[in-house]
Amino acid sequence: MIDLLVPKSVAELREVSGEGRLIAGGTDLLVQMRAGRHEERLIDVSSLDDGPPAVCAEDDSIEISALRPISRIVTALSGALPAVSAAAAVFASLQVRNRATIGGNLANASPAADMVPPLVVASAVATIEGPEGSRQEPVLELASGPGRNTLRVGEWISSLRVPRPAGREGFRKLGGRFGMAISIVNLAWRWSIDEDGVLFGVRLAAGAVAPTVIRCERAEQEIEGNRATEGVLRRSVAAIKADISPIDDVRATAWYRREAIGGLLEEALLAHASPEDGDGGIGGA
Amino acid sequence: MIVNGKTVEPTDLSGRLLDFIRDTLGLTGTKEGCGMGECGACTVLVDGEPVCSCLVLTGQVKDASITSIEGLAKQELHKAQRSVIAAHAAQCGYCTPGVVLSLAAMLAKGANLTEDQVRGVLVGNLCRCTGFGDIFEAAREAALP
Repeated sequence: MIDLLVPKSVAELREVSGEGRLIAGGTDLLVQMRAGRHEERLIDVSSLDDGPPAVCAEDDSIEISALRPISRIVTALSGALPAVSAAAAVFASLQVRNRATIGGNLANASPAADMVPPLVVASAVATIEGPEGSRQEPVLELASGPGRNTLRVGEWISSLRVPRPAGREGFRKLGGRFGMAISIVNLAWRWSIDEDGVLFGVRLAAGAVAPTVIRCERAEQEIEGNRATEGVLRRSVAAIKADISPIDDVRATAWYRREAIGGLLEEALLAHASPEDGDGGIGGA
Repeated sequence: MIVNGKTVEPTDLSGRLLDFIRDTLGLTGTKEGCGMGECGACTVLVDGEPVCSCLVLTGQVKDASITSIEGLAKQELHKAQRSVIAAHAAQCGYCTPGVVLSLAAMLAKGANLTEDQVRGVLVGNLCRCTGFGDIFEAAREAALP
């Protein structure tokens, strides 16, 4: 039988967090355990009375809880971070979103994690708590490989500081069906546009195309400081295919993933890169 | 923990909420389908929100109020149940308790929903008989303006 600890305060959690496997929403860990993963002791991080609030809005950024259900975060955001909301809208199912946390999605370090690319394009910084106190780490540094993270023993991700978008942002994923689909590829984007249509502050991040979620810097450089002309479209699509290192797996071939990520970038540029377009934040599977 | 309005005292806190509801409380209207959070047959409401009870440890929700399918009807059947009956939206019936609870949670939010939003609510409930046409019809009847 498993031993389950349910600390109610951060101080209590700090005392015991190194003595077992941390569990948040459990929507991934319990599936792994059913498939044979053995854990002696689980320590719940999702029941803290003094944990961070779902959302805390500041002038330039929004602090969001890593420990509360994704559905609650999205409701509290009410559209303030369009790419995060778009990713959450196509994240698993409502039942899963009512338990799953962003902290869990980050710590599990799936290459296909849907909540991660929107945080990467925002240059979000995680607050990590642990037995030694707290520290900060950019979200992009949290995953070190498929299923591996850089957290030390007893550490948990507590909250995320997400700079507000200055311009537009969005998220798209391709999955086998509308709900409950692991991304075949996903792409988040963030950029600003001046009155001449020149794009700046361009950030792109993609999932399921490399061992971890990655930033697509070659493609960013092709777009930065340019208008979304046909030539820029062509060069940036070619560049993003070079940014990624996809594999063949049960969901798609590497070839398909290269084509698809190029298509997602092209669609985002066509729909959201001229001054008169809407705000972006388009989701969908 | 409160289940269907009654206070209960779970003993095995590290077990699944699904097993506590079915085996300890004997409320077998909650079904186990996949056991992996994919199918939604084990859906119950935790503080009004639908979750897969196969992916929750009892100790994580020991201070919560839980509604299983047995606790939904009060004096008369819930609107979600009446809509499912009216649309003949059950075949083998195994997914039905989960579908009904998802619809009940949707109705509790009180919004007039679009077709896409209704489908979004039911994304986590699989019907192995593939009777989705009638299930969506029930959902529309319950939810659309």
